[in-house]
Amino acid sequence: MLVSIVVPLYNEAESIRLLHASIVEAVADAGWDFEIIFVDDGSSDKTFEIAKALAAEDRHLTVIRFRRNFGQTPAMAAGIDHARGDILVTMDGDLQNDPRDIPVLVAAVADGNDLAVGWRHNRQDKLLTRKIPSKIANWLIGKVTGVPIKDNGCSLKAYRRDVIQSVPFYSEMHRFIPAMTSLSGARVAEIKVRHHARKFGESKYGLSRIYKVLMDLLTIKMLVTFGSRPLRWFAVLALLPAVLGATFFVYSIAVAAFSATSTVSIGGSGLLLLSLALFLLMTGALCELIYRSGDIDLNRLAQVAASTRSTREVCSVAGPDQLD
Amino acid sequence: MNTNKPGLSVVIPVTERVDDPKLLFGEYRKALDALDISYEMIFVIDGEFQDFRQGVEVLAAEHSNLSIIQLGKAFGESTALSAGFDRARASMILTLPAYLQCEPQELGKLFDKIESADMVLARRWPRVDSAALQSRTRLFNRLVALMTAETFDDLGCSVRLIRRAVVDDVPIYGDQHRFMPILAARRGFRIEQVDLTQSRHDSVRKKPPLGAYPRRLLDLLTVFFLVKFTKKPLRFFGLLGTATMAVGLIGLLVVVLQRVLFELPLADRPALLLSSLLVVLGVQLLAIGLVGEIVIFTHAKDMKEYTIKEIVGNHSTVAD
Repeated sequence: MLVSIVVPLYNEAESIRLLHASIVEAVADAGWDFEIIFVDDGSSDKTFEIAKALAAEDRHLTVIRFRRNFGQTPAMAAGIDHARGDILVTMDGDLQNDPRDIPVLVAAVADGNDLAVGWRHNRQDKLLTRKIPSKIANWLIGKVTGVPIKDNGCSLKAYRRDVIQSVPFYSEMHRFIPAMTSLSGARVAEIKVRHHARKFGESKYGLSRIYKVLMDLLTIKMLVTFGSRPLRWFAVLALLPAVLGATFFVYSIAVAAFSATSTVSIGGSGLLLLSLALFLLMTGALCELIYRSGDIDLNRLAQVAASTRSTREVCSVAGPDQLD
Repeated sequence: MNTNKPGLSVVIPVTERVDDPKLLFGEYRKALDALDISYEMIFVIDGEFQDFRQGVEVLAAEHSNLSIIQLGKAFGESTALSAGFDRARASMILTLPAYLQCEPQELGKLFDKIESADMVLARRWPRVDSAALQSRTRLFNRLVALMTAETFDDLGCSVRLIRRAVVDDVPIYGDQHRFMPILAARRGFRIEQVDLTQSRHDSVRKKPPLGAYPRRLLDLLTVFFLVKFTKKPLRFFGLLGTATMAVGLIGLLVVVLQRVLFELPLADRPALLLSSLLVVLGVQLLAIGLVGEIVIFTHAKDMKEYTIKEIVGNHSTVAD
């Protein structure tokens, strides 16, 4: 069994040597073969030079260098595209994840889960700017998707190869991969992992993500609720304006017929709402068309997952209780 | 035509404005020969340019490194460039306009900068144009910089030295050749600028047709969307949509409250119509954003979000 460990790096010159050493130390005796893929996301410091030097000494290590800074998810996507392992592991490059948790996650996937998600149950971050927004986001994601995963944002995850390679991995979608895969029938294990405070550098995220997460959630909601049947989703949306519009319109005609009051505004509003209903229906039809021409749908993902089992299950695997 | 690979491919799209082919070829040849590099020259004739074509054919009979591509009809400069790029065999491509825009003897300056860059742009400077033309260029480039956050001084100059990798990675269509540096910069390529003296021939130009301006603005808008929102359309449309919807909903709330609390009649108020219109518009904008998201989602596997500069380590021994 080959395990690929994908680590996106952005200006991590100080921590990269330590990171490499601790990954190798953690997985050397795990009983499976491994490769490490460092993805240098357009760093402006010495990250790439150091990584290159490390790669010259370690045959397990591959370094992919981006032309410029593209972001964490594209970096992970590049690593996943180039990974050759049966099980893929992703983790942060800033030493906040602990490589010693990798074997536990890999074991969980080897035991028949499609996905093992790290859960930073003892998170070492700022309360106000990191932990509380993250709590809210996780709660929202759980509510909207119906899959209560405690920590969607943790980068430390292990995937079965065919599962991760059939999920669209773009923009900031990595946050929703556990929810998306488990909705399509994949088995997800949540595993308690260690989490350390930052040793080097600055945290690279902030509060501004809330709006983005909200909009992404709306997308995910649409994508997962009706899978590859967007027409149905839009038809449901169109129902309310259709009913309201028809009511307004009929009311305005009735009032105009039996009394002398002018009802142009309410009748007009009714017509507007009816046109909106029609617009939404057409939009849904257009989406169907796009789906047919595209090459990804969640149904196929479900088939990938179902090829190994028949029931959907979200189970929690206990991690090492005594951490650090 | 030479069979061994040249060091440089010169692509000259022939669109809209042309100078005498003989004069043009003579000037360019003189400048390129001075650079001591083997080159091929490709004229891409975009539509009907009978006189020019005959002129080039005469030259092609004399010079083996010159070839002609004739497009079936006028497709525009970007298509002409793409056709030339497809045909170019060298790893370095120089695009030149079919009229003298910069002084050809200064072309060597581009090659001095290419060492550390993937694309070198020429900027017409010093310019001999009228002050009005110059300020128009400035205004256009300011606007572009404002909308795309990439600053270039003269996107209207077609003299560009480009590495093959850029051409292969950045598709252009419509009028986007003008914005190619922006798209290339977004993909992570390094862009440099050099100043070339504007040719006297460039200043005696006809005024562009009025229709050119709206077209250019539309292209700018396209590039703006390409640069900002291709990956997350809902974030853009969502902002517009929720704002519109919020204004509409507040309006509705006000008229309904006035009906309930102050017994103002509701059915004939224009404010009601306006508010519902805004709500409807907001929902439509959101819906369009969602359509965009579905497009991205279903095609995400085809669209690489990143460009790789190099791979080192054990992968480099395996052929990818």
